[in-house]
Amino acid sequence: MTVPSPASDGTGYAETDFSVQELPLAIRPHRSRPIRTLLFLTIIVAVGTLLGIGSAYVMIEREQPLNAVSIGAWRAYPKAGTAEADPYSVAIYTRGAVVPLASGEGLALVAREDEAGNLLDPTCVYRISGQTPAARLWTLTATDGDGRLTATLPGRVQVDSQNLLRNPDGSFTISAASKPHSGNWLPVAQGANASDGLRFVLRLYDAPVTTGAALDGISLPVIERVACP
Amino acid sequence: MTLSRRFSTTLGAIAILFLAVVIHILVVFGIPLNVQHSAYDNVATHGPDRQFNLLPDVRPLEEALPDLDPAMKHAACRFQLADGPILFDAGIPTTFWSIGLFNAAGEALYSLNNRTAGADRLSMLVLTPAQLSILRENPPENLEDLIVIETDEISGFALLRAYVPHQSKAESIDRALQAASCGVIS
Repeated sequence: MTVPSPASDGTGYAETDFSVQELPLAIRPHRSRPIRTLLFLTIIVAVGTLLGIGSAYVMIEREQPLNAVSIGAWRAYPKAGTAEADPYSVAIYTRGAVVPLASGEGLALVAREDEAGNLLDPTCVYRISGQTPAARLWTLTATDGDGRLTATLPGRVQVDSQNLLRNPDGSFTISAASKPHSGNWLPVAQGANASDGLRFVLRLYDAPVTTGAALDGISLPVIERVACP
Repeated sequence: MTLSRRFSTTLGAIAILFLAVVIHILVVFGIPLNVQHSAYDNVATHGPDRQFNLLPDVRPLEEALPDLDPAMKHAACRFQLADGPILFDAGIPTTFWSIGLFNAAGEALYSLNNRTAGADRLSMLVLTPAQLSILRENPPENLEDLIVIETDEISGFALLRAYVPHQSKAESIDRALQAASCGVIS
């Protein structure tokens, strides 16, 4: 607020301008400053729009719907791809044109991290061991960080429950690596960089645990990092 | 009236937050309405409607649809119930198969697998409630053996998944999927 300067123009204004200075801000006469107001509103609109679009982009791009069920390193989205899905998973699934595994078919679980919480890295060797919940069939697939299959040494990108070596107690150990391993070997992308990302997808077919509630307390394989270059 | 500097900063921050929330919601809800290739559109690229089209094997860099299981073979059929009820019929010689019915938005309507189907053969009739009441007046003989699914969704697609236990079975599963029918009942 600029206050009229003490009357140097000789109008006698100086006699009264002490009262102008004392007026509280709220009742002081308003002086419009269109440029400043316009700038203020433009900044509000620009920052608000950027924040809105940016936050939506981040939520959609990380491809993790809200109503996830997490067990260890594994995440499942039983409601995704149904009429009860939250708006984020609707946006993620329709944007990716993904055909979900319906509840009568099976359940897909995705791991993006190992047991220690580190992001999976396709240049490392992982040991996936333990048991799966009851299912008539399950398959374990390695994909890149965007969920796409990648070229591997033998051309195969999955292991399944019907072609698996098991311990006498029914548990199993799978080595996930780009180079061949003895025992159960899940081939991982050949010649990949750490930045390509890695996901393990465990699909349980005809499993009783296709609803979210039934997922509590089930045992899933543990993903441990064995070695990294 | 003149606002104090602190008051107008607070007001500005609230306005930014409010605008950000509104735009966030608009973007998230707007994406499904503005996708260029939905799953329903993608299925059409593999062959004509109202028949099962065998999708190419799921291999790296040539995935027919995103997120399919490489251990399976898939066949997809797009249908429009405006043309009449659709009868799905297939006999697949494998230890596991499943079928999912999806609406045009890609939401699952119904799904079953070879155990829940209760028979080795898939025979499933999908129709609208109006078509079912017409059908009931003059029921076909085998109506009791069919799995009848009523839906209000006019267009959608079905995805049939068949597990390939061993490469030696691949050819017979291919043939069974190609022979699977998804058509208007006569």
